[in-house]
Amino acid sequence: MTKNKKIVFGLSLVAAAIMIMFFSTMPSAGSKEIAIEELLNNKDSFKDEYVMTQGLLIEDSVQWNADKIELRFEIVEDGRDRILPVIYNGVKPDNFSEDVIVIVEGFLNEKGEFEAERVQTKCPSKYEGEDPENYDPEMHQNRNKTNED
Amino acid sequence: MYLIGNIALILGIVISLYALIANIIGLKRKDERWLESARGGVLSLAFVASISAFLLFYILGTSQFQFQYVASYTNNELPIIYKLAAFWAGNAGSLLLWTFLLSIYTAIIVLNKKKQNKMIPYVSSILLTNILFFYIVMVLNANPFEMTDTIPLDGKGLNPMLQNPGMVLHPVTLYMGYVGLAVPFAYAIAALIMKRMDAEWIKLTRRWTLTAWLFLTLGNMIGGWWAYLELGWGGYWAWDPVENASFLPWLTVSAFLHSMMIQERKNMLKTWNLSLIILSYILTLFGTFLVRSGILTSVHSFGDSNLGSYFLIFMAFMMLFAIYVVATRYQLIKSDSKPIESYFSKESSFLLNNFILITATFAVFFGTMYPLISETITGTKVNVGAPYFNKVMAPIMLVLLLLMAICPLISWQKAVFDRFIRNTLIPLFAAIVFAIILVLMGIKGIYAIIGLTVTVFMFNVHLAEIWRGTRARQKATKEGFIKALFRLTRKNQRRYGGYIVHIGIAIIAVGVISSNAYSEEVMKTVGQGESFQVGHYELTFKELTEIEKNGNGIVTANMDVNYKGKRNGTIHPEKIFYGTWPEPSSEVAIKTNLTEDLYVVLSSWESKEKATFVIKINPFVSWIWAGGILMVIGTAIALIGGKTSAAFRIGSRQRGVRA
Repeated sequence: MTKNKKIVFGLSLVAAAIMIMFFSTMPSAGSKEIAIEELLNNKDSFKDEYVMTQGLLIEDSVQWNADKIELRFEIVEDGRDRILPVIYNGVKPDNFSEDVIVIVEGFLNEKGEFEAERVQTKCPSKYEGEDPENYDPEMHQNRNKTNED
Repeated sequence: MYLIGNIALILGIVISLYALIANIIGLKRKDERWLESARGGVLSLAFVASISAFLLFYILGTSQFQFQYVASYTNNELPIIYKLAAFWAGNAGSLLLWTFLLSIYTAIIVLNKKKQNKMIPYVSSILLTNILFFYIVMVLNANPFEMTDTIPLDGKGLNPMLQNPGMVLHPVTLYMGYVGLAVPFAYAIAALIMKRMDAEWIKLTRRWTLTAWLFLTLGNMIGGWWAYLELGWGGYWAWDPVENASFLPWLTVSAFLHSMMIQERKNMLKTWNLSLIILSYILTLFGTFLVRSGILTSVHSFGDSNLGSYFLIFMAFMMLFAIYVVATRYQLIKSDSKPIESYFSKESSFLLNNFILITATFAVFFGTMYPLISETITGTKVNVGAPYFNKVMAPIMLVLLLLMAICPLISWQKAVFDRFIRNTLIPLFAAIVFAIILVLMGIKGIYAIIGLTVTVFMFNVHLAEIWRGTRARQKATKEGFIKALFRLTRKNQRRYGGYIVHIGIAIIAVGVISSNAYSEEVMKTVGQGESFQVGHYELTFKELTEIEKNGNGIVTANMDVNYKGKRNGTIHPEKIFYGTWPEPSSEVAIKTNLTEDLYVVLSSWESKEKATFVIKINPFVSWIWAGGILMVIGTAIALIGGKTSAAFRIGSRQRGVRA
């Protein structure tokens, strides 16, 4: 065995170890992307599972409790009628208005409410044609992070 | 104007196609006249691209709303600097910017008399293919000179988030990096086509690669800084697909910058270097594809542009082409590669560094693509966010820092173990003392302490290396310390430039580790006159004021700040309501001192007397920007200094001095 081969062999072992690390980290660090409809139809199977879902905001449903820093709102899937109530212990994003797309991550509780740990918004049409490549920080513009770490 | 703009674009296609064909004919027939004609083509192409670019600047600057692009991204009230910066606010303009830069780069290569050699026609052909692609995409899909049906009175305006100095700098720097990588790629492929297996292409493109890397670094840093100032979530990096897209080529080029030294000196790692530079180039296309196709869920709205598919096709084409060229020459590359002589040598330590950087690339790539991978395999999209990246990247980066601490001490070929130990001892000891002090100070968090200790170790090693070099020179030349230090750096700019970059990274690491591990966040609703405590700060909410400025309504919260019981001025977070933009935006207020940032966002208010704030204490964030500046300085020193051969000579002489 030449030294080159030995080095390659050693490195592949390390690579294998790192791959295992990737895969073991993945499930715990990931969030499943589930449509609202599917989430509500299979409440039990998604219990205690960290999921991500998105829908359009119903502006009339927004309730903001400043003293408790608690935000309640409802989102609905585009073109469907199932409504998902969301509770979030955090502040309201800047553009929290009708029909903005809200991306929530968190858990569905027993009452069928979604306890969000992260709420992000994006506008469906207003930035159309704009180039994300050019200003990558822009994507966070409406991001309201409380659980970054 | 419309005519000139469109004619210039069509001319761009025609000329680049012509120059490409002229190159190919010239090469086939070995006819200088055709090659000369292709050179002329490249120069006129640069001219035509400049006309397009100036024209776009002109119509943006003079607010000619009959052009769709101008109407979509600017309005009358916009300050002139942002009117001009709107050049790269949309797809069409950024494609034009890319084309413009690429054609200028190509012209520089073709014009440079000193570096004329047989490779140039191949290089220019490959770059021309790129330019042709961009022109075609522009004409077919994203024409910056498209007209509106009816001329609007005013434009839509630029997204307020983009009205920041970051907008002027960040996209341009990133693009200069992206575009710059096409040059070493073109040289690498040219060398392969010509079956020239020496390190010539690496030597010729060292400055191009380093410049591209410099701009990628700068682009990413400015992006982070901008996000931190503008977006109000208190962070600078979120592992979003778009950010990852620009981080990936940075990682692979960082690896290449190290491994290319091995090929230069030792003629080793040829296939590896070729693969790295091909990969870096492909990643720039891949990144563009990723962010424009909208295949991943990002907070971005990507619009309905189908630019992504163009990039996918082009990327696949270039990749297959590169793989074909490498595969057909593989035996040749293989035949005169040298094996590594010793495990304990700079060569193998660089190899390890490359391995780690590629692992990091893979980890980021894997995380970014995981939603797609998981959807293909299991049918459910699983998004991995910051937690995954932080978890996986933290150990990788730690190993990288450790390598950076050890590698400068290992010499080429076969390193002497005794000397290595001797040189490591003091820096390591100092780092351990530092760790003990941290623990004694009651600082918690074992991982952060380990990370900081390794960082300090790395920093110490570099200081010690510089110090040793200077002392050795002082002994030999009887110069003063400063003079010796200066001359030493001057004589070997590549090495010491690199050290400065490493020191910059150490300083950034302090910022990143501390701000991740020790940041504090408080959300609070307070009444007028009420005080509350965050970290060492005591904030008092005084009042809410509202003013009208340039058609925008600005609500400002005035707060008094006490730091460790002492009065520390005031802080004024704002919320701005725009006349021409539907959403308001939060203007973050930041108070920076050497060790931490007080970061205050005015979130909302119930009345004039009651408002909600988000307050963050971010330790050492300003170090990240300082480290970034140091990295840029170091890269610049390495860039302007040192012909390869000179560096080699001095490098060996210095080893002699030290031994």
